[in-house]
Amino acid sequence: MITPIEAGLLVFIVATAVMTALLRDVLAAIIVFGGYSLGMAILWIVLQAPDVGLTEAAVGAGVMTVLFLATIARTTRLTGLEATTVDVNLPAAALCVVFVLAVLTTVPALPAVGAGPGENPAFGEISEYYVEEAYDDTHVENVVTAVLVAYRGFDTFGEATVVFAAGVGVLAVLRRGVFE
Amino acid sequence: MIEALFARYNYVVFALLLGIGLYIVIDDENLVKKVIGLNVFQTGIFLFFITVAVQDGAEPAVTSTGEGTFVNPLPHVLILTAIVVGVSLTALALALVVRIHEEYGSIREDVVVEVLERD
Repeated sequence: MITPIEAGLLVFIVATAVMTALLRDVLAAIIVFGGYSLGMAILWIVLQAPDVGLTEAAVGAGVMTVLFLATIARTTRLTGLEATTVDVNLPAAALCVVFVLAVLTTVPALPAVGAGPGENPAFGEISEYYVEEAYDDTHVENVVTAVLVAYRGFDTFGEATVVFAAGVGVLAVLRRGVFE
Repeated sequence: MIEALFARYNYVVFALLLGIGLYIVIDDENLVKKVIGLNVFQTGIFLFFITVAVQDGAEPAVTSTGEGTFVNPLPHVLILTAIVVGVSLTALALALVVRIHEEYGSIREDVVVEVLERD
């Protein structure tokens, strides 16, 4: 059953997302999007995903907002905050409504929120194995960390490669340093 | 139908966030806001994965014995990776926006198209 704090967070998230879409001023949109990311981080904590919550707060609400602000500082002449909204493009909005309805038709086929093993196909032998064996195999109590750095260490190495490649890409695109 | 959706409230928000993200990407002329739209779409998909992992009365999977009720740790691991990859992609997309501004003097798609047509 939905708790009041969850309901409040979900309403906040949808409201900030809609505001981000409608605000014409890009600086105002970035600030509202920062609030959206923070709401998301708190929602992850409420949904019992503290690792994801911390990462989202540090990276989503923190680094991402700085990246957006750095970009508009270089590209947009700021004249102060404006709260004007964009005109809604009806054909585009209608297309998105159709898309949302199409996704919603698949939702009743999903397990209810909070359904455990048996009713929820996401729970199975494999996740049980990790929960039961992670400590014996890796001596790490946090199963998320154990999977991330031990069982799927090579995958995390691949992730680091992606970050490195993106960093090289940014330098190449902006023609900085060795690419000058 | 309505009851089924109400028991799956997080998935309804997931669908709404995908729709809002898609709207920003296809409608907004500002390229920085398009990147924000991609991020809204992406966090909608994160919500799907984290909701799949939830179990009533469960705790985060921190244990040395494996006894107790825990949320599913595997979707959390996937989403942790996805958040970091998402930030890398955002950084690269924003670098391209800065380059487009250097080249065309604007970060608005309609202005860039105008400049392209004029030349």
